[in-house]
Amino acid sequence: MGKHDQTEGWIFKIKRFSIHDGPGIRTSVFMKGCPLKCVWCHNPEGINPDISIWYNRKLCIACGQCVEVCPTKALKLTYDPAPVIKIDKRSCHLTGECINTCPTNALQFTGYKTTIDESIREIEKDLAYYQISGGGVTLTGGEPLYQAEFSSEILKACKQRNINTAIETSLYCEKDIIDRILPYVDLFIVDLKIFDPSQHTLFTGRSNENIIENFRHLAASEKTVLVRIPLIVNITDTNENKAAITNFVFETNEKIQVEYINFNPLTENKYIQLELPYLLKKEENSNNML
Amino acid sequence: MILPDNRIMDRIPEIKPTHRILSLREKTFSATRYLSIEQAKIITRIYQENENLPVILKRAKSLAQSLLEIRITIDPEELIVGNRTPDIRAGVVFPEAGLSWLFREIEMLPLRSQDPFQVKQEDLSYFQKTLEPFWRGKTLEDDIYETYGNELKAIEEVVKINQKDHAQGHICPKVEDWLKYGPGGLLKIAQEKHRRSTPESKNFYESVCITLEASCKYIKRYSIMAADLAKDQPENELKKNLEQIAHICLKLSENPPGSFREALQSVWFLFVILQMESNASSFSPGRIDQYIYPFLANDLKTGRIDLLIALELLDALFIKFNQIVYMRNTHSAKYFAGFPIGFNCTIGGQKANGDDATNQLSYLMLKAQDHIRLTQPNLTARLHKNSPEAFLDECSRVIGLGTGMPQIVNDESIIPSLKAAGFNQHDSIDYALVGCVEIGTQGNYLGWSDAAMFNLVKVLELTLNDGKSMVSGKQLGPNSGYLFNFSNFSDFEIAFQNQIDFFIQKMMPACEVVERFHQIHLPSPFLSSVIDDCITKGIDVTAGGARYNLSGIQAIQVANISDSLAVLKKLVFEDEAIGKGQLLKALKNNFAGNEPLRQRCINQVPKYGNDVAWVDELGARWVGYFARKIKMYKNFRGGDFQMGLYTVSAHVPMGFYVGATPDGRLAQTPLADGGMSPMNGRDKLGPTAVLNSVLRIPSMMASNGTLLNMKFLPSLFNSQEDRRKFTSLLKAFIGLPIHHVQFNVVTSEELINAKTDPESHRGLTIRVAGYTAYFTELAPDLQDEIIKRTTYGEA
Repeated sequence: MGKHDQTEGWIFKIKRFSIHDGPGIRTSVFMKGCPLKCVWCHNPEGINPDISIWYNRKLCIACGQCVEVCPTKALKLTYDPAPVIKIDKRSCHLTGECINTCPTNALQFTGYKTTIDESIREIEKDLAYYQISGGGVTLTGGEPLYQAEFSSEILKACKQRNINTAIETSLYCEKDIIDRILPYVDLFIVDLKIFDPSQHTLFTGRSNENIIENFRHLAASEKTVLVRIPLIVNITDTNENKAAITNFVFETNEKIQVEYINFNPLTENKYIQLELPYLLKKEENSNNML
Repeated sequence: MILPDNRIMDRIPEIKPTHRILSLREKTFSATRYLSIEQAKIITRIYQENENLPVILKRAKSLAQSLLEIRITIDPEELIVGNRTPDIRAGVVFPEAGLSWLFREIEMLPLRSQDPFQVKQEDLSYFQKTLEPFWRGKTLEDDIYETYGNELKAIEEVVKINQKDHAQGHICPKVEDWLKYGPGGLLKIAQEKHRRSTPESKNFYESVCITLEASCKYIKRYSIMAADLAKDQPENELKKNLEQIAHICLKLSENPPGSFREALQSVWFLFVILQMESNASSFSPGRIDQYIYPFLANDLKTGRIDLLIALELLDALFIKFNQIVYMRNTHSAKYFAGFPIGFNCTIGGQKANGDDATNQLSYLMLKAQDHIRLTQPNLTARLHKNSPEAFLDECSRVIGLGTGMPQIVNDESIIPSLKAAGFNQHDSIDYALVGCVEIGTQGNYLGWSDAAMFNLVKVLELTLNDGKSMVSGKQLGPNSGYLFNFSNFSDFEIAFQNQIDFFIQKMMPACEVVERFHQIHLPSPFLSSVIDDCITKGIDVTAGGARYNLSGIQAIQVANISDSLAVLKKLVFEDEAIGKGQLLKALKNNFAGNEPLRQRCINQVPKYGNDVAWVDELGARWVGYFARKIKMYKNFRGGDFQMGLYTVSAHVPMGFYVGATPDGRLAQTPLADGGMSPMNGRDKLGPTAVLNSVLRIPSMMASNGTLLNMKFLPSLFNSQEDRRKFTSLLKAFIGLPIHHVQFNVVTSEELINAKTDPESHRGLTIRVAGYTAYFTELAPDLQDEIIKRTTYGEA
């Protein structure tokens, strides 16, 4: 990951009228980079902190203009037998020429650099809707705490403007980062996925000891915390896992609520576009509700 | 604010319609629809017998004779009675206005796929042998085309002049006076005026008296019939009901109503008679919850009825609104499927002193909508900054049912706009919606709200091509140069302005011709009796008797104008990324062989609806220009022209006239829907960004009405918590300078399924544009357009 200026950060989307991540009508800021690699990740474009180019074949009209403009000849129009653009990631220097040229937006960067000012300008566009609905801003990702400095500055800037703030996080981070952002967050939405450490390592790439510790630390603060368990068939939605997480949360702080989140079945397509392996199969999707 | 009656209002969501209501609803749709020429025969006879009488007296006598003669029926289950034909939902032939389409299509009427009508053999032969030959050359339509046909034809690709072959509806009568005096009381007032009339006003007053006198008799006929039917009934509920009908109608034939049921019955008779006089779209009841409420409050207080009985009566009236249909020609029926006749009922809003006007009846009407879920009435809720939370919630709940109703209008935006258009404070605050989304004051206003639709997108196309149509190849506008002749964007804009001016100049005399012939052919004395100040002034409503006499012209379509100008400004003139000749050639070829260029037009410049100020302001600037320009003219009745920003469903047929446009739209495909809506699929940032774009368009200058469509996923209404988010969006809307918004709550998948499997989706209603229709009955291109509209609320 490249070094970021204090006031600069990398995001991959700003979603307005976000209504499922905290109270009221919100704007969600999706931050690049995540230390975990959950096999079911809804936003795989947010995992890698570095940007790359992704290709949406559905939008492509095979005009071949991107092939012509690429200064490093990294793109090729091939046939399988339908026309499709292949990107040679090794020769791609991310000049963005192909993206600027693509008439259909089939080629996109997986994120972009922005500043606090720019982000706030976007956020403030819906100020009237936050005020009326009791909404605000939610930082999500990726893992917003991966860019702790930037996240904390956005949150601070929001609080200075009296905008309600929420953060959706796995809590996988250094403990002092939690302390740093604590004053600027109104609601923590914590995704607790798997309680068993070895299972956690297996499906997310990291053990959860640091998460558990951070959760205890956070739960001891006066902040409002909401725990979400993403329901993934045979991975997170087993009775043992759900009970283990729920018990843990209850024992840590009985005021903290737990809710289940259904798996988003639209995700597989994203993996295809990103040329990432997709380890879950569609028929395994769960529709259980709490 | 009067709090809802807790005992009943709290359990309102669970109250089901009664068996009687379900049965009446079922009967409304099971009957076969017939063409009805009964009234046409009477009218023809009167015109033949009175050849030398002034038209207004012929019209009055025709209506009077119809009221006395036309066969009437009563279903013993009915709580509210009355119809203009013995059959339910008959297609009425109305000869004075024009018969040409029916002459061409009458034999196909039973066979057409959209809204068919059966035609009895004797009626067909009477129509062809007697009716049509007698009226040929004598109708409103014939005179308009005889006098001005060539001029209308010359501008038809740009300007659609309306009301050429039917009477002008789109009006809220003064129901309050009708309820206060009854036809008998109004008759006495008119008789007094008649005694003191001048030679100029004598015929007018006489005509008014003739129609009111006959109205009393008409109502009495129902009393007599009900009493007769009651005699044959065994002692049961139905007998009791018929006796009650007999009693109510007898009373109403002589006196004003006293009870809630009498008031509803009286209102319905008024609208039946208005339809018998004019057979027009959109006589709108207006603020029923205001003028009927005193009757409800009094009945509740005296214990005559409870809210459950009141709700059943309202349900019955709601069904009645579906029993009169307006028969359209085949082309028009495809876009106005399911007979949107525009019985627009407005609830909520403010009282004269600015206090919230919501009352128990407002809630009951929302509940009736929940019960009946048909395309009529067209239910509109007025919201303002002090609208009660409970009312907003109930509106959200009913919107979530997916019938597209209530549509929402914003007092905070509309009232100032009406004042600016010249309406006084009292009338402005008492506004109601008329027809679809037209704004009107109640009982004193002939708004002529659909005088014309002006296709700005077509004018833009002409400006690119030296005034020549890319569709028909005809030279329509002045030679103002080709796109490649303009060296900068402002030169192009000057040419655009000149083209607009040219067509406005052509449009205004056409509007005048139509209004002039309405005055000649279709004076409406009965309607005039319930429109201030016709009776005071002694002038018919078509001749300018109303207090307010505006005409509305719709500017079409702000989204395509913004998007197309943005592409020209940025990609063509500023960045020079697309060559002028290259673009013009591509547009003329409908982008054939040049999909990449079309995609660049779509994707490389921001679009209206995404909260990008400079793009939105391009559209705002030109509709603003249009509004100012038409205001410089006076209409035939001496009133102003005012702008509307709505197309209803004309964005499909109007798009058919327009070639490919710089926004990437293909030739002859639909324009953006609604009026204020973004082009479908081009709004990428959700409803708040759309609202932020729309608020930059000067609604203030669109006092004729505006239309914004939004489509949400049903999942947004699943839980109370989610619904609250929707409610807060409504609240935010109240704070914005936007007049109107309406909601479809449906998934695109369901619509696609409904299109491929209409049989299983017969009941699916959809908000098209200011009215609700059955989705499966709409024309396929309109269905596709609705499917493509952006849906909000995804995770």
